[in-house]
Amino acid sequence: MSIVSLEHIKKSFDATPVLKDISLSVDEGEVVAIIGPSGGGKSTLLRCATLLETFESGSLAYGDLVVAHNNEQQHAVYGSRQTLSEARSRFGLVFQNFNLFPHYSVMRNITDAPIKVQKRNADEVKKQAKRLIARMGLEGKETMVPCELSGGQQQRVAIARALCMNPKMLFFDEPTSALDPELTQEVLKVIRSLAEDHMTMVIVTHEMAFARDVADRIIFMDGGVIVEEGPAHDLIEHPQHERTKAFLSRYDGE
Amino acid sequence: MDVSTMMGMLGNGFVATLQIFFLTLLGALPLGLLIAFLRMNTKGFHLRGVKIRPISLITQLYISIMRGTPLMLQLFVIYFAPYYVFGQQLTENSRFTATIVAFILNYAAYFAEIYRSGIQSIPRGQYEAAQVLGYSRAQTFVRIILPQVVKRILPPMTNEIITLVKDTSLAFAIGFVEMFTVAKSIVASQRTMAAFIAAGVMYYVFNLLVAFVMNHIEKKMNYYHD
Repeated sequence: MSIVSLEHIKKSFDATPVLKDISLSVDEGEVVAIIGPSGGGKSTLLRCATLLETFESGSLAYGDLVVAHNNEQQHAVYGSRQTLSEARSRFGLVFQNFNLFPHYSVMRNITDAPIKVQKRNADEVKKQAKRLIARMGLEGKETMVPCELSGGQQQRVAIARALCMNPKMLFFDEPTSALDPELTQEVLKVIRSLAEDHMTMVIVTHEMAFARDVADRIIFMDGGVIVEEGPAHDLIEHPQHERTKAFLSRYDGE
Repeated sequence: MDVSTMMGMLGNGFVATLQIFFLTLLGALPLGLLIAFLRMNTKGFHLRGVKIRPISLITQLYISIMRGTPLMLQLFVIYFAPYYVFGQQLTENSRFTATIVAFILNYAAYFAEIYRSGIQSIPRGQYEAAQVLGYSRAQTFVRIILPQVVKRILPPMTNEIITLVKDTSLAFAIGFVEMFTVAKSIVASQRTMAAFIAAGVMYYVFNLLVAFVMNHIEKKMNYYHD
């Protein structure tokens, strides 16, 4: 059974359609990269999947948990507040701008939600947080606040924060777009290691080489539709559609 | 009248001044937050394509009146309202009650706008991160948003609180006995300015203390920036 499944998603801002009948299903352990030009609907799709936006038509389910489904008029009907909150506990989201809590230390950024939201044992959460901090290469930074860290370090804290909730999968919304090339590499390294551990992930990215090497499957989106999708290497090296070819040609030599 | 007698009388008046000051803060700081929420309330309906938000509109009217008319006039209206509107006899205690009520209502309006400026300056991403992590709306506000708001609004709050210290003297207008009322009567009876000077020094020193405390809180919150 798929971890997350979106079917026939339609969404518009005012009268402008941004998602035109998009379907996407991700299996356990699968890494999916979403690429495409800005304004093509990638981020909106991710925001719909993570319940930061609502869609007008279509269905969304996390495993057997139906979050939204179409009624007879093909309007999406969302589940109860409880359903939405249960759904939120199944995924983590890493933002382009990190969105760490600036007034909390690194440790507290990671542990606050598991302790206060999930009501888990504080000592256990802190132990897990220490392991995650070590894994992210952030030892010694526990008591620092986000403004004392580089962008790459902040993004790794954000990844640890998402992981500490023990989600079944992670979404990344252009996780390196706010970083310079050097910091980008340290964040990509972490995501790569998560992929090696078979963490289920959906990554919106502009890093083509990274998408090719890490993703199992790549989806190319443009104009609110999935233009092309397929195994990562095939799509990057042998794109079938003209639009995909045109888009990828701009990344040649990377 | 010797100096110690005068200072004793002014001291008693100062206790009343402190009462107005602290009770106003105690009432207006939470009420201001509530008014800020009502002001930002988006519930409403569409009328000929224009969105009407009744709760927000009523709150805006309230803030506009409180800011647009003199506090001294508001003091008089609230002091005399029980008599002229409800036909109740005014007692000695009603001066105190009217003073506190008028100050809280007036200052809450100013505080509300300061809170609003702070709340609206917090980036959307903070709310989104909290939502994805499962924080309830109340948790998001108390744990994530409010601490950041407090840091951002400290400078304008310090301004308002210093103004409040001086505004307490307006209670003189409805005959409530606080430090300025005492100073005025001493000056009238003793035919010397000494009581005014002494009262002025006490207002000033108290405001120095307010500024010092607020500055200290600001420094404590400077462990991060964003």
